[in-house]
Amino acid sequence: MIKIIRMLFLSASLVYVGAWAQDPVYQVGVDGLACPFCAYGIEKQLQKLDGVKSVETDIAKGRVVVTMDDGKVLDRPLVEQAVKNAGFTLRSFEQIEEPAQ
Amino acid sequence: MRHRRQRFHGKGWIVTGLLIAAPFLSFTAMGAPITFNTALPVAKDEFVFRQQLRWLSSGDDPSGMSRDMSVFASISVLGYGVNSKLAVFGVLPWMDKTLEMTDGSADVERDNRGLGDLAGFARYTVWQEDAPGRTFRLAGFGGVTVPTGDDDKSDHLGQLPPSLQDGTGTWNGFGGVVATWQTLDYEIDGQLSYRENRAANGFAFGDETRLDLSWQQRLWPRELSSGVPGFLYGVLELNWLHQGKNHINGQDDPDSGGDILWLSPGLQYVTKRWVVEALVQKPISQNLNGAMLENEVIVTTSFRIKF
Repeated sequence: MIKIIRMLFLSASLVYVGAWAQDPVYQVGVDGLACPFCAYGIEKQLQKLDGVKSVETDIAKGRVVVTMDDGKVLDRPLVEQAVKNAGFTLRSFEQIEEPAQ
Repeated sequence: MRHRRQRFHGKGWIVTGLLIAAPFLSFTAMGAPITFNTALPVAKDEFVFRQQLRWLSSGDDPSGMSRDMSVFASISVLGYGVNSKLAVFGVLPWMDKTLEMTDGSADVERDNRGLGDLAGFARYTVWQEDAPGRTFRLAGFGGVTVPTGDDDKSDHLGQLPPSLQDGTGTWNGFGGVVATWQTLDYEIDGQLSYRENRAANGFAFGDETRLDLSWQQRLWPRELSSGVPGFLYGVLELNWLHQGKNHINGQDDPDSGGDILWLSPGLQYVTKRWVVEALVQKPISQNLNGAMLENEVIVTTSFRIKF
């Protein structure tokens, strides 16, 4: 019985990790980002995009990590426009496995 | 310092000091400056609301009438980002003005409170250079003040002088340029503006030219961590105002106009969503005409939020 419970728990954990790993994550480099008050605008613009699950800004590195809903893709032109709407300039755009630490 | 003081005319009902009629329409406000609003950053489809409370005191009366004037103002500013380059702003002041003086042997107090003139302006960014952790912006702005404030109020002594009225009674235009250099460690803003004050009921305040410089230095955190930490800035501003002489029925009022230079230290705490700030403006040079009251101090507190 204990073995069965362990197997079920392990299987559930693998399913959970698999599901988490499937969320596409993108790293967006932003030029011009230099104060906390400015970060709100870029997060708001990126969160408007279809399929965006979460947005995390690292102001010191001028970097925004965008996590998408499962199966959703982030298009560079849309990101470029969103960054421009926020009043900044897109420096780089790449898909990453997980948010860089 | 008082240089061009020449003579005192009348009973001093009109003569008060610079910044009394339109004391709070200093449009230098963006990401960091406290005394001006034109530098406020706004993204497309984003609103920024700023609520300022200001207290101004003028005195040191050379006329012998012991005049003291104080103004408390609540100034509401709403900005909206039309697109990445164009933002529009509205500014609505509410003011409570009090003038105390001695008229002969009697002490006299005249006061007034109410909504002032609504101001609307647009800012367009003409040049922008972005780099990692820094940006430079140059923008032009222009707008008008709308005569929403009363300009014909009276008390038991008769009609209040223009400096005690809520509004100017006329439409006034203004414009200028504002530049911002911002890095993760500090920000420098500069604004040059001009405001034309037109006549209403035979009276016009002198036109105003302003130069405002603001330097904000990050004091905390000393080292940046990941994410978006709140920043504590030390603020130092230099504000110069030149106002021409008022016009009464087309004639220059010799007891009006001049120059004031303020040095203004302050503090500012900035987060991703909101900002709180406070600043004290202390005149370091005043070159006023005639029997004008000297400015003693201006204290500003402010709260900002984006949505």
